[in-house]
Amino acid sequence: MTDTKVHDSSVSGSPEGRVFRPASEAELAQAVELALDYRGDVTLELTSGELVVGYLFNRQTKGAALSIEFFPEDSPAPRVIPCSTIASIAFTGEDTASGKSWEAWASKKESERRADAQRVEEDARARGLL
Amino acid sequence: MAVPVSQMYTVASYVLSKKLKGIKRYPLVLMLEPLFRCNLACAGCGKIQYPDHVLDKRLTPEQCWAAAEECGAPIVAVPGGEPLIHPEIGRIVEGLVAQKRYLYVCTNAILLERKLKEFKPSQYLTFSVHMDGLKNEHDLAVCRDGVYEVAVKAIKEALRLGHRVTTNTTLFDDANPDRVRQFFDEMMALGVEGMMISPGYSYQKAPDKQHFLKKAKTQELFSKILSRPKGSWKFNQSPLFLDFLMGKKEYQCTPWGNPTYNVFGWQKPCYLLQEGYAKSFRELLETTEWEDYGTSRNEKCAECMVHCGYEPSAVSDTFGTVSGFVRTAKLTMIPTSR
Repeated sequence: MTDTKVHDSSVSGSPEGRVFRPASEAELAQAVELALDYRGDVTLELTSGELVVGYLFNRQTKGAALSIEFFPEDSPAPRVIPCSTIASIAFTGEDTASGKSWEAWASKKESERRADAQRVEEDARARGLL
Repeated sequence: MAVPVSQMYTVASYVLSKKLKGIKRYPLVLMLEPLFRCNLACAGCGKIQYPDHVLDKRLTPEQCWAAAEECGAPIVAVPGGEPLIHPEIGRIVEGLVAQKRYLYVCTNAILLERKLKEFKPSQYLTFSVHMDGLKNEHDLAVCRDGVYEVAVKAIKEALRLGHRVTTNTTLFDDANPDRVRQFFDEMMALGVEGMMISPGYSYQKAPDKQHFLKKAKTQELFSKILSRPKGSWKFNQSPLFLDFLMGKKEYQCTPWGNPTYNVFGWQKPCYLLQEGYAKSFRELLETTEWEDYGTSRNEKCAECMVHCGYEPSAVSDTFGTVSGFVRTAKLTMIPTSR
């Protein structure tokens, strides 16, 4: 599978920024599993040339018609996309889970923690959640 | 007793009826996540890391009610995200109470005091307030100063209005047992009905070497916390699950016991792992490869001792074995006999 790293991911192990162009069904299945585990949006390039951006949350890997389920970023309804129509999967959205472990939080300096906490609080306030 | 008799009776008759019918896999608690958006960002929480357009999605009240009907579990826990953010949480709760489900709304309580007017006290409705320890520990865990005091104030007000209130606490291996015991004293002094505790779930994609050590460490921690229990402490959970946490019991996971439903569908295989989604509860039961999950069956499950997998196992032990029933009865009547 061609894996093009288009920009550096800030956390090792995250596929953020990578682009996968699977050359076989097995490689496509691998890339789909990686996308299922990913907590950010991906961009799918379909064989028709269409580009779709959204969150991949499910896949059908058994049976005759392999497919993925996907919440497009601009539509409330999920979309089912046959795997046979996927030309590439790019991990274009921010990996929202990276660096969010308890260990990462505990290892931060007090000033960094306070800054993080303030940012989260301001965001919640701006959304009317407090 | 921390759990009201009517609730105990409902759960007991439900589990016994399943056992008498020979049904092997049945749900005990539906984990209903009406949204993922939260007004906190607790370190280590794996529930809220999604792109904004996913965090903005919500289940409708009708979807929530249908999921509870389809699943049929006598208890429904409503975590999230923060469920009180949901603009229709009052309607969701009302509908589930009308179905006579025992409902636990799991909240960080930041909005609780303001939202209490949307809820009518009921034997079916409990606010399960997230409290991870005394002030210092809790505010550190939720990554914001002052949240402990807000939660305590909301608990007092909810109790004053006649609501059922419990606490839910996640403990990691670095918890201080003496401080946790003080925390239990403080929560019971507030007047909550009972407390729920569970170890946190952690899984590192790393060699398996330390998993057993970690499990032993968890058991050691809970033994220190729960041995010589005070008569004032009440736990809103199975006494055998507490035995399990202390290493006095060995259970296999029951991942179908607490099925999870959210904006993606029915989550496979459990509340903590996301290995795909089913369209219906029946599809979840029939298509999940259950044998692939649980203690010693899956690397991701090796360290797990979390309530959502093992509390249903403990409840099954209570109603499936004489020794389990006798020990549950003894610990329920005389909690200090542990």
